[in-house]
Amino acid sequence: MTFRLRPGKKGLALRLHDLEAAIMDVVWSKQLVSFAVSDVLAVLEKQRDIAYTTVMTTVARLYDKGLLGRERDGKRYLYSPKLTREEFLQSTAREVLEEAVGGHQAMAMLAEKVSEASAGELDELEALIQKRRGELDA
Amino acid sequence: MIEATFPLLGTAFVVLIVLPAFALLAKAGLVMLERDEAGGPLHGLNLRYVLLTGSSALPIAWLLSAGLHQAETGKSALACLLDHDTAELCFEPGYFALVLAAAIFASSIGVMRKHRGARASSTDAARALLRRVANIIASDAVLAGLHDRVVVTDDDGFALGTHGLLKPRVFIGTAFAARLSDEMLASALGHEAEHARALDPLRYLILQLALAVNPFGRFLLEPHAARWQAAREAHCDREAVILGAAPLPLADAIVRAARPGAREVVALGARDTAVLKFRIGMLLAFSERAPARCCHQGPSAFPVAFVLLLVALLLPHQTGTAALDVLHTGAEHALTYFWR
Repeated sequence: MTFRLRPGKKGLALRLHDLEAAIMDVVWSKQLVSFAVSDVLAVLEKQRDIAYTTVMTTVARLYDKGLLGRERDGKRYLYSPKLTREEFLQSTAREVLEEAVGGHQAMAMLAEKVSEASAGELDELEALIQKRRGELDA
Repeated sequence: MIEATFPLLGTAFVVLIVLPAFALLAKAGLVMLERDEAGGPLHGLNLRYVLLTGSSALPIAWLLSAGLHQAETGKSALACLLDHDTAELCFEPGYFALVLAAAIFASSIGVMRKHRGARASSTDAARALLRRVANIIASDAVLAGLHDRVVVTDDDGFALGTHGLLKPRVFIGTAFAARLSDEMLASALGHEAEHARALDPLRYLILQLALAVNPFGRFLLEPHAARWQAAREAHCDREAVILGAAPLPLADAIVRAARPGAREVVALGARDTAVLKFRIGMLLAFSERAPARCCHQGPSAFPVAFVLLLVALLLPHQTGTAALDVLHTGAEHALTYFWR
């Protein structure tokens, strides 16, 4: 399974296109074990205007990339995730850590300060945490 | 031939050739370890650490021990006889060991200066925070190891970190703690408890020293050291969650610690937000499914490193110091060649 890293993107979007990342986010956060295209569409339709065929094509692409498995169920396919979110992140981690640079302090810190240029990225990370908290509460 | 030749040229040879050569060998090992897809980036941290530090520490330990051994036993007599036509008063290997030790000490000063903890405070705010932390520790058995090991500081530039080499203590900034809920603070303390349990301040200091004493080889190892340190932080997040810390409050605390306050010094460039994103992504994943213990990276690196260091120190006494003689005569001959 190979993915190309996408500069300037983060999280799932680092290795997946936006809609691919959105679909995998739905699969993992809703903990879908076996699902049809219509199950994902039902969730995505609440967030954006999107066609069934678009979701179907993207789900098929995720199957081609090896992120989803599938089996026939009558006239349709039932898909299942092949990796957990953590396993996917682990496989992405090496590429992400490649970006680590020198200059670390000789002490153990919870997190080192990042520059003001990254303040926006920190805001996005905080929003991501709040979103997940909301999903878990729901 | 003047007696300063070997101590000075030999030390220069060690710094310019020997240590970079060992760094190159260590890099080859690290590249192979990092390419191993099987275990993921959090595996093999101890072995990677031994390669990073051993590439400087082991050759230096052998050379110092060999120099002192030759000076003590007069085993450098042959090399002295060849170069000076006399074996009497041949203390050059001893001077070499002294010059090498002085060079190492000089290059370590900068690292030691940076490795200073924050100042402890005893203001009302600091005392209130200490009481708050004591309540959190008392209510969480996993944090029991931090009892009497928490220091509070009013230093605005300090968030949360572990200092102290043999008895690490967790330092918390009052301004930073005020921005955290009790749940966030408890999770963050769980992360620091793993640092303290594994003696990470000592590990980090030795790593920085190993890079500092190898000025011409460090550029080969620095990217691997940065990756090791980033992976080590992620490992502490993982261990904290396994032991009961809540992943989302920990993620929140990490992001808040990464945000520089008005008077805080920015320590790193923007590129390291990539590591931050990885750690947050990992904690978001843990909020869906609790992690299993995959790769224990506890204090087992220390016994291994100690045994290797002991072997390097004892080896010259047991198997001879022929390599030092080669270095000795090589330095003398090099000077003769350039002098002509």
